[in-house]
Amino acid sequence: MAWSSVTPPISTSGVAELGTEPMAHRRFVLLGIAGVIVLIVGLAVTSLGDNLTYYLYPTEAVAQRADFPDGERFRLAGTVVSGTLMEAEDEVLFDVTDGGATIAVVLTGVPPALLGEEVPVLLEGAWSGGEFDADNVRIAHDENYEVPEEGNYPSG
Amino acid sequence: MTKVKVLLAIASVAMAVGLWSALTAPTDTLQGDFTRIINIHAPSMWLAFLAFGLTALGSGMWLLRKQMGWDRLAAASAELGVMFTAIGLFTGMVWGQAVWGRAWDWGDWRLSTTAVMFFVYIGYLALRGATPDPTVRARRSAVLGVIAVIQVPLVYFSVNLFRTLHQTQSIRPDGVTMPREMSIAILINVIAYTILYVALLVARIEVAKIEETRATETALAGDAVKPPRLSEVKDV
Repeated sequence: MAWSSVTPPISTSGVAELGTEPMAHRRFVLLGIAGVIVLIVGLAVTSLGDNLTYYLYPTEAVAQRADFPDGERFRLAGTVVSGTLMEAEDEVLFDVTDGGATIAVVLTGVPPALLGEEVPVLLEGAWSGGEFDADNVRIAHDENYEVPEEGNYPSG
Repeated sequence: MTKVKVLLAIASVAMAVGLWSALTAPTDTLQGDFTRIINIHAPSMWLAFLAFGLTALGSGMWLLRKQMGWDRLAAASAELGVMFTAIGLFTGMVWGQAVWGRAWDWGDWRLSTTAVMFFVYIGYLALRGATPDPTVRARRSAVLGVIAVIQVPLVYFSVNLFRTLHQTQSIRPDGVTMPREMSIAILINVIAYTILYVALLVARIEVAKIEETRATETALAGDAVKPPRLSEVKDV
């Protein structure tokens, strides 16, 4: 380690110029800045770059059906259609819609507690024929907060 | 330090009122009691934005005027911004785990840009820590302080620019998408957090002045070297 052998001199002037600063610190700072840039670029390329769209709505998913063959994973966002939610042994069946197209969903695994009718969801999975096989669901609540007529005030 | 104590006392009372209003406000039908997290989450992030804004102001003014007071303001505000961002990230993850069913997702631009902003400002503090000379430190961090603030509007508008799991703003120019009692509770907390920020900012600037006095007092070359005691010198 080249810089560990350098003892930084104590600054006496308080107005030292860039050039008089010990090399050790300049190298440390440059390494730090380079590290941050690598981190940001790395994140952008690995995590963000390939899914700028993040998710599709049912209308888009139906329109782009050809681009996503069976098994090709993507995210699907929509609202659970009233009266379609059915729980089987280890899967949950429901339809999601964005007001346009409606897609039948087969969700495997344990559904989250808040999953219900008229609830906006974000699903991860792939087409399987005319159905969407999902293995992950998130409740995608929006910016609207609503209180029922009687209140929702804390009890007790 | 008396003014700091007075400000902290006012902040404590305001935060108690804020907590009370958060716990008594009505909750959203879908989310239930988890709605209350917004009273910590949103004010924390807004104060982080304000803090990083003041860091940029202090940085810009230092570059124009070269007065150390502006550097102190920039540094103190950046530390508080990092603190408020940490609170915002943590409460957001708790809220996300509870309602979304997942604490974190790098695919969400609101979440990932906030994380990057957090790391960049930790980098700002590391840059200050790694630069011993006060003038060089002030110049370098001022440049970073001015550049890094670009992230604030990027984080704020990320939910409008990209499709995100994170919901968009509820309090916006064209109206408020929540019942009045909910938004009033948030407003009370914003006021409380702002007083807390001002109190901590004033306190941190006072501490920075003391630190600078200490640094100039001990910075004489040779101070660190003490003459050996005779008893320690064996070869005499």
